[in-house]
Amino acid sequence: MLTLLFKSFIRSKVAVIGLAVVLFTGIISIYIGRQHIEKQRTSIEKTAHFQQEHIQRNVQYFNKEMGLLLYHLRFSLVNETHPLNGLSIGQRDVNSSIQSITIRNLENQKYDTDLFNPFNLLTGNLDFSFVLIYLLPLLIIGFSYNLLSEEKEDGTWPLVSTQGNHPFKLLLRKLLIRAIAVFAALAVLLLLSAVILSIPVDSSFIATIALAVLYLLCWFAICLWVISLQKRSSTNAVILLSSWMMLTVILPGAVNNYILNKYPVPEAMATAVAQREGYHEKWDMDKQPTMDKFYAHYPQFRRYILPEGQFNWPWYYAMQQMGDDESQMQANAMQDKLWQREKTSTFIAGFIPTLHTQHMLNTIARAGLSNQLSFLDSTTGFHEKMRLHFYPKIFEGSAVSGEDWQQFKMEHFSQAYNINWLSVLMPLILVSVLFFGLSAVNFRKSLQHDRM
Amino acid sequence: MRRDVLLLLAKQLVSNAFRNKAIVMLLGIVAILLIYATYSCAGIYLQETQSRQSYQKEVREHWEEMPDKHPHRMAHYGYIVFRPKSPLSIFDPGMESYVGNAVFLEAHRQNSVNFSEAGFSTGMLRFGEISMAMILQILVPLVIFFIGFNTVAADRENGTLKILLGQGVSWKEIMTGKIIGLFGIALSLLLLVLIFLIAAGVSIPQKQFTADDLLLISWIMLCYAVYFGIISIVAVLISAYSRTAKLALVSLISIWLLWAIILPRTMQAAGNFLYASPSRIEFETAIEKELIQKGDSHNPDDPYYKALKDSVLRIYNASSVEQLPFNYSGFQMKEGERISAVIYNQHLFALLDRYQQQNDVSRLSAFVNPLMALRNLSMSISGTGFNNYTRFQQQAEAYRYQLAQHMNDLQIKLISNKKPGDNDKPYSISSEHWKSFPDFSYKTERPIVMITSETLSLFALLCWMLLLITAVSILSKKLKAI
Repeated sequence: MLTLLFKSFIRSKVAVIGLAVVLFTGIISIYIGRQHIEKQRTSIEKTAHFQQEHIQRNVQYFNKEMGLLLYHLRFSLVNETHPLNGLSIGQRDVNSSIQSITIRNLENQKYDTDLFNPFNLLTGNLDFSFVLIYLLPLLIIGFSYNLLSEEKEDGTWPLVSTQGNHPFKLLLRKLLIRAIAVFAALAVLLLLSAVILSIPVDSSFIATIALAVLYLLCWFAICLWVISLQKRSSTNAVILLSSWMMLTVILPGAVNNYILNKYPVPEAMATAVAQREGYHEKWDMDKQPTMDKFYAHYPQFRRYILPEGQFNWPWYYAMQQMGDDESQMQANAMQDKLWQREKTSTFIAGFIPTLHTQHMLNTIARAGLSNQLSFLDSTTGFHEKMRLHFYPKIFEGSAVSGEDWQQFKMEHFSQAYNINWLSVLMPLILVSVLFFGLSAVNFRKSLQHDRM
Repeated sequence: MRRDVLLLLAKQLVSNAFRNKAIVMLLGIVAILLIYATYSCAGIYLQETQSRQSYQKEVREHWEEMPDKHPHRMAHYGYIVFRPKSPLSIFDPGMESYVGNAVFLEAHRQNSVNFSEAGFSTGMLRFGEISMAMILQILVPLVIFFIGFNTVAADRENGTLKILLGQGVSWKEIMTGKIIGLFGIALSLLLLVLIFLIAAGVSIPQKQFTADDLLLISWIMLCYAVYFGIISIVAVLISAYSRTAKLALVSLISIWLLWAIILPRTMQAAGNFLYASPSRIEFETAIEKELIQKGDSHNPDDPYYKALKDSVLRIYNASSVEQLPFNYSGFQMKEGERISAVIYNQHLFALLDRYQQQNDVSRLSAFVNPLMALRNLSMSISGTGFNNYTRFQQQAEAYRYQLAQHMNDLQIKLISNKKPGDNDKPYSISSEHWKSFPDFSYKTERPIVMITSETLSLFALLCWMLLLITAVSILSKKLKAI
């Protein structure tokens, strides 16, 4: 029976064209993901190479003063790209994965963006998450919107319903066959991506798979519920496409507008202004108060007292330090605002399967806002480490040749992420259960109605 | 064609649509969304404009308050400029959220335009924003298709079509009448948008719409009207051509998915594949490499700057730079700034050209996707398109260059050539010089340029119209009632 149903399904035009289109775009999307990852990788390789060359050249030019050399030297920190980023590009196309910074004022450097074509960002990436979130549900809708209604419209339903006690069992079987086809397509794509992107089979990948499966299950549940309303085929199509539209375009868009309105980030501009004033105004002020503020921040450097003369490096770097110190309030406020955005988004996404799936895919692939914020934190730590390493050498006027410059290689940041399975999967499970439950209720009602 | 027959058919279509509860609900949702879009886009515009203006003012005040100092200090103090939002971003935010909003301008260095909304987003932004333009571009066509699939096909299924034709109504009249009906529904939504847009413009306190904005709005309305014409014709054509209403619906939905969801991303991906663009590190190292080749001002033994110095000394018949009648280090920096700006701009233009090539693939797809034509037109006329973004970037860079060179000129003219001793007071010039340096003011594009910069898209839209009108007249001779 099942094989017969399967044969009749797979011979239909909708099935063949639909599956072919999804598989084709799916494979393209995986290659686009690979292109993205390779671009990142070459950037990182080039940065590593460039850093060495850059240090060598500058050490040669500015070999007299440590202070002047460190004015020019840039050190790079890389936000590591997880292979899963090839499936869900997320924010990694707009936020730079590489920070190349001097030990001067950090707030002036750390928000520099990557180079990108804004039109690309506007249209969005054709990555696997797009195929999963937008296209596969359309395939499910196309496969199932007329499962019951078509039989009724063709007049075969009375025949079917008189044959057995549970005519809906047949319906469920037909749906099961379609589910097998859809999940087989998903399996093919995931398998291909694991090979093409060399994704390690770890908890992150398993969470991605689980998310994909449950997300599609949500859509089967929604489709079954619409079928259970027992309307005409065209009505079903309109309802399902409207729901799809609601979940992929309208609700996410409305939530986005809400968050933009609710949490604007003028603090970003405030930080930019404050760090610039914090540093530059010190040029026109007495030197000692600046030094005192610097000593208050770093008591361990108290022993380097302000040298005589119009210009000296301890004072210069103390001024630079003030750019960071005096914009700290604004910078922290900005960070808080962004974390608020992240938290609110996560919360709201819990109620909307599309948003939740995208958000979690990004988070697991270390490509979301939380990853960017952690990377910025790590940049601050990296910058502080370099500062603390070089400050005493600059203040003591150590010889440039005394330093082992070979040791300053590019460094890496990799975000630790523990999967909280409950919060990752629960929202999708709840939505699926809700709609399967609603459909069961509807079918039971109509069965009772038929018996009477 | 008889006018009264056409009107009768159109009216019948409209009243049928309003009798359908689902359609009324969809139209209601569209109306509510339009209100929400107006409210939230106007809110974002107001909030952003106010905070950008106030920070721009603050930056200016700080600049003018700077005390007497060495001009090169001012060149490093630099300027921060904020990208003003186009007033019509209330209608179509276009790329607004994806481009940076603030850039720090200083000597020797071209910084990136930072703090884009996209960089601050949780990734949610990528689902798209709700705006009046988005609703008109994507949602309204879907609603028109939902109404339109049933028009001719349903009449055919229930036999009304036979009766109509039997009464002497021609195929052309039937199709045109239905098209007018659909177009009327779409147009009334467009009218609603116009009212909301004007209301938003009037209710925003400082910046009310100018005459230029009104001209742009009327062009926008015209483009959307043509687009809705295309959508209405497509709906009726497919409905007339399909055997059953269900088939018509499936075809129309497929067309909509292709136009609204699949083609835009695929075309942009194709553009990226065909015309790869460099990463930031590649872009920056290429510039630095060329700069070092030309002349490295950091290298004390650089041949270019050595030759420059020698030639200047020869002209002035001096043996050292200290004998020159002007400040030599200012002169050298001016030359350095000029060279680096030329090289940077060459690379930047090459990069922007590359982006344009990527975007042209999408732009050309307008001939298979009228939505793409409209989207580009709408962004361009609303001042939120790609051109508008590069325009800001270039004006900011021009201002940076002007500022740096002005400070170099002041140094050349007013700063002594002798190096101050270790305990001398550093050289400085009057703060009046800062006050007299003009503030940055963004010059918006002239409306005529905004309209004509997307001529190709306009042409594509007109081609679609012509093609579809021809298709109606051809099909009306071939169609059958059953």
